[in-house]
Amino acid sequence: MINLENISFDHCIKCTICTGYCPVAKVTHLYPGPKQSGPDLERLRIKNQRLVDASLKYCNNCKRCEIACPSDVKIADIIGSAKWKYSKKKLSLRDFLLSRTDLMGRVSTFFSPIVNFFTRLSVVKFFLDVFLNIPSKRKFPKYAYKTFRQWFSKNRDSQENFERKIVYFHGCYVNYNDHDLGKAAVAVLNALKIGVVIAREKCCGVPLIANSYFKKACKNANHNIKTLGKAVESSDMKIISSSSSCTFALKYEYANLLELDNSPIADRTEYITEIIYQEFEKGNIPKMKPVNIKAAYHAPCHLERMGSVIYTIGILKKIPGLELKLLHSECCGMSGTYGFKKECYQISQDIGSDIFKKIDKIKPDLVITDCETCKWQIEENTVYETIHPVTLLSRALEANNS
Amino acid sequence: MNYDCIIIGGGIAGLTCGIKCASEGLRCAIISSGMSALHFSSGSIDLLGSHSGQDVIKEPYTELNRFIEENSEHPYKKCGADTIKDAFSFFQNEVSAQGLDLFSNEEKNHFHVTPVGTLKTTFLSQQSVFNKKIRDAFFRKPKIAVINIDGFRDFYPAVGRINLKKNRLFKDCEIITGSISLPDIKLNPKNPHEFRSIDICRIFDSYLDLNKISSLISSVAGDADIVGIPAFLGLNNYTVIIKSLREKTGYIIYEIPTLPPSILGIRLDNILKSRYAELGGVFIAGDRVIGGKISNGILEYIHTENHPETRLYAGSYVLSTGSFFSGGMTSNVEKIQEPVFDLAIDYDKGRENWRGQAFFHPQSHPFLSFGVKTNDYLNPYGPSGELIENLFCTGAVLSHYDPVKEGTGSGVAISTGFLAGTQIVQRKTGQNKRDHD
Repeated sequence: MINLENISFDHCIKCTICTGYCPVAKVTHLYPGPKQSGPDLERLRIKNQRLVDASLKYCNNCKRCEIACPSDVKIADIIGSAKWKYSKKKLSLRDFLLSRTDLMGRVSTFFSPIVNFFTRLSVVKFFLDVFLNIPSKRKFPKYAYKTFRQWFSKNRDSQENFERKIVYFHGCYVNYNDHDLGKAAVAVLNALKIGVVIAREKCCGVPLIANSYFKKACKNANHNIKTLGKAVESSDMKIISSSSSCTFALKYEYANLLELDNSPIADRTEYITEIIYQEFEKGNIPKMKPVNIKAAYHAPCHLERMGSVIYTIGILKKIPGLELKLLHSECCGMSGTYGFKKECYQISQDIGSDIFKKIDKIKPDLVITDCETCKWQIEENTVYETIHPVTLLSRALEANNS
Repeated sequence: MNYDCIIIGGGIAGLTCGIKCASEGLRCAIISSGMSALHFSSGSIDLLGSHSGQDVIKEPYTELNRFIEENSEHPYKKCGADTIKDAFSFFQNEVSAQGLDLFSNEEKNHFHVTPVGTLKTTFLSQQSVFNKKIRDAFFRKPKIAVINIDGFRDFYPAVGRINLKKNRLFKDCEIITGSISLPDIKLNPKNPHEFRSIDICRIFDSYLDLNKISSLISSVAGDADIVGIPAFLGLNNYTVIIKSLREKTGYIIYEIPTLPPSILGIRLDNILKSRYAELGGVFIAGDRVIGGKISNGILEYIHTENHPETRLYAGSYVLSTGSFFSGGMTSNVEKIQEPVFDLAIDYDKGRENWRGQAFFHPQSHPFLSFGVKTNDYLNPYGPSGELIENLFCTGAVLSHYDPVKEGTGSGVAISTGFLAGTQIVQRKTGQNKRDHD
């Protein structure tokens, strides 16, 4: 049966402009492009599920087709839900492991020195490549020892002194891999005289959605809507995240793709730089020392989709001594777990190749980007350290304090 | 967010205005939802093609004064002939500074060929569509080869040939048609039909052997003078590709605009956006303006779909949201509306009068002239009839002009975009002066 409420594909006029902006279709003929994978084939899939095309898996869910579409068709959502509704999910150990960031994180942070050691051994990489189809050329992100939450619970008291508070959704990456980013976020918010609250949270679901574990994604989403909703229900607190894709999931994907009611959190959730920017606008700007560096800025796809890139650029421009070079907005190719799949590895590298060249040409002191997986991609393919805008902001503060 | 100027809509009107403001040092943001009509356009710039839809104007600047006199409510009247001329020279200089030279036929109109072989009057074209060599060759009654690439289904050389031969300009030209197969191309094994202009363009841009393709073109075109080929000769490296094909084959290479996505239009879009970015303008592509607060004839702030609670402030605002297709206006059975601010619209209330007699009628369709009502300075009127002083309307959202009948589409966009930009710069400098005093 055709669900008459969901026929946005009918607004497609076949102009193919989305395909012109699709980073995947740009580099491979294996993917017919968003117009065909989305609205075109959706008509056929509704009629007969046997017409589901295996090329769906090449979509990296960057959402650039939706930004390009002049007719407001939710192309990436159509493709995403087609993966969910029509494709039979085959059991894949690799996809399971890549998408269970929570589980992997909890285990790995416990044994992080050992895990980090092993994931860098070429023999381990060889086995991962052969048996799990995870390309040996990929470097795994390092796991931290213990979790960010453990650090935070020790420092929770210091947050009590603040009158204004904010709920910080740290996400898996901060919790298991990069405590420094979490600490930087807390430091910057504190410098703005805002205290940090942390609610119980599960992985936002982005990797689960990307690997078609929709049931599990819904389960996590419902959990987050409940706990975050409860944390803010009796106040006017905002929810922020330092990951652009986590923010995107909480605010949009839960409703648009998972079709869940995220109204308790949707309007409250913002990406971290937006909140910082608003404070800056009010004149609440902490003292900063010149950083005296040249940095290239790469805007992640999901931040672009949310229209929030201006806020990041806005706060970066307020950092003294920062020579900022904006890279032309395009996908870096990593797209979360996409680049960790053997069948997508070359596509992922080809998509990013232009950005790598442009960064090399700029010769920056470091690269700035809001997304952790963009960071991995850029660090792996250039020689430059890549950091989060909030990390740079905290460095400017630290310089000030010392 | 606080800007000197926020422009709603990133098409040719919005970008021209943005480039004007940014070039004068204003802090400027463009908020755009979905790619603009440039992606559907020929990539040529019209100024004034016809008075009545049936005549052809040869020298638009000469005719402009008469046209303005006859059409007292036309956006061109609000601009005035001098501003229009300034706007065009500004536009031409700015795109040229970014590396795209638009050919003006010594201020005379020329024509470009459509995918079905009809001719359209236009004023500025990219060098592969019109240049001095093409013009001179044309007077010698050249032999023309119209060539397609196998598998490209948006172009039929035989149809083009029949229509061209109907035109007296081409009556005495020998026109041959043919097609070539691209060597070594990789096609989607599942779906070989998905082979549109953008796909071929990418093949040209990335890995095609131009020596091979040149000899294939020569084998089909024989002793022709001009080779007409759909415009898919690259988005990034087109200058090099076209030059190299010309040198290797010896033919004049003529690009025919294709059905969307139009590569010629996208090239212009890329150039304008790069220019704007280079001048420091901010472009927000993933969001849509949904409304704002108007009080005492001033638009105070606006907000967007993705950030409904965030207020975006600017001294001046520009509405360049386009016509019906781009979402600048919406219609239903009862009425026509401007969806962002519910501005006053000039239109015929009788719905039966909205359309013309036939789809392709020289008199075009009345609805094309419907649009936002503005004063002489392009300021619109709000829902309760009050003039909004710091909001300027530009391009296809304006009323009282018919881009199809008159051949004025991109001309009005550029002229009104430029006029709005000039006024915003004046407002800003005036304000600075007042602050200073």
